[in-house]
Amino acid sequence: MKRMLLILGIVLGTVNVFAQDIYSCRNASFSFFSSAPMEDIEAKTDKGVSAINLKTGAVYFKVPVNTFQFRKKLMQEHFNENYLETDKYPYAEFKGKVVEPDAANLSKDGTHDVMVEGVLSLHGVDKTYREKGTITVQNGQVISASKFNVKLADHKIKIPTLVIKNIAEVVEVTVKATYAR
Amino acid sequence: MKAISLLLISCGLCITSQAQDDLSTMFKDSTGHQPVIGTFKSTRIIMGHSNETLKKHELDFRVAHRFGDAGGSFGGGKTAFGLDNSTDIRIAFEYGITDDLMIGISRAKGSGDLTQIFEGLAKYRILKQTTDDHIPVSLTVFGNVTVSTMSSNDDATSPSHFDEFTDRMTYVGQAILARKFGERLSLTLSPTYVHRNRVGYMDQNNMFALGGSGRVKLSKRLAFIAEYYYPFRSQSSKDYYKSQGVEFFNPLGAGLEIETGGHVFSVNFTNSTAILENQFIPETRSSWLQGQFRWGFNISRRFSLFGKKDWKK
Repeated sequence: MKRMLLILGIVLGTVNVFAQDIYSCRNASFSFFSSAPMEDIEAKTDKGVSAINLKTGAVYFKVPVNTFQFRKKLMQEHFNENYLETDKYPYAEFKGKVVEPDAANLSKDGTHDVMVEGVLSLHGVDKTYREKGTITVQNGQVISASKFNVKLADHKIKIPTLVIKNIAEVVEVTVKATYAR
Repeated sequence: MKAISLLLISCGLCITSQAQDDLSTMFKDSTGHQPVIGTFKSTRIIMGHSNETLKKHELDFRVAHRFGDAGGSFGGGKTAFGLDNSTDIRIAFEYGITDDLMIGISRAKGSGDLTQIFEGLAKYRILKQTTDDHIPVSLTVFGNVTVSTMSSNDDATSPSHFDEFTDRMTYVGQAILARKFGERLSLTLSPTYVHRNRVGYMDQNNMFALGGSGRVKLSKRLAFIAEYYYPFRSQSSKDYYKSQGVEFFNPLGAGLEIETGGHVFSVNFTNSTAILENQFIPETRSSWLQGQFRWGFNISRRFSLFGKKDWKK
């Protein structure tokens, strides 16, 4: 019995050790910006979630697409109904890993320039991205940030020729998450 | 015993290593009750209201036009199938005060007992259908007041003879129940009440009606729309008017709706000549079967006002 307890203790211990390296965030902010001949389009949300494992370098982001707020509400409606089809594809999700530098150094205090590789699932289409970002570790707080481009055609987001002047084909996406353990 | 403990350890390691790689398991999809969006593209279907309202700070400039009879004795080739005549024209400014409350003012030419009409309206969304069917239908209420500015008819029995200012006024109260069935189909049911302060002999000051309408999306930007109202006019009133050679018909319209970014165009055919509920529900005297239907269009242009600086922050 004693031995059993010891084993259990070891098992739980290992879980704990691993869990300590995982940081999560429930108010990750996402925004995107596109500049087109007719008008700039901008939207943002802070309803995303994210998690990061400083030991393995695994990163995860997920955002309910219909939480993006536009200044023009009609645009927001079209974004959900016509372009991103949020009824069918409610979430955008990124599963990836820090590939540079070596994950072992991530836990150290300071700002790390990192390269993250992973799969972005958006509008029901998966695509592999390799993008630059930063991970800042300070006093037990972790912040991740990145800015990258998404080409609408890569995710089968179709723009009718009628409004092609209003919508850019590439949008710049900004992500920021502040994590707690 | 050893075997069991080994198994336990390996199991434990298994779980932890899985948790490491797939961080997605940390988050459950607890999005709650999400409202259904875009039951209709516009605040109107053909003439009557949909459950949609303007969002906060949105201005909707609307122009609606109904032409003359396409067929029958007033239609045909000599009037270009009604295009030379206009039975009713309405120009409106409508505005969203909150995401659920809108108001508006309009001017309509008017077609029926009264003409030269100003209208004030308000519309409020009470319930929103949710994607998980926690709330299965949307409910919106609409009300308006109209005032006719036409000169009073000398004939004291005429509905357009005004002894007092209030004789010029009519009202509509309506509840719009709507449901979006999947991506393509949306339907409404609209119990409606029309009150006209002054009406002709044997006509009704109060009239209930039931409206039904629907949309079938043909593509993302093109939809087929149809609308029908059944007014509950008393048999004695119908009989009296029939004896005077006047027959009332139930308004029926069908059309296509085209969305192009900020504009929504509705191109439709209706038997009713009027655009306002206050008139087309109780006073439609033209029949599809006698060629008395007409071409009409609604144009809606939505602008987002204010908030540009606030939003930037």
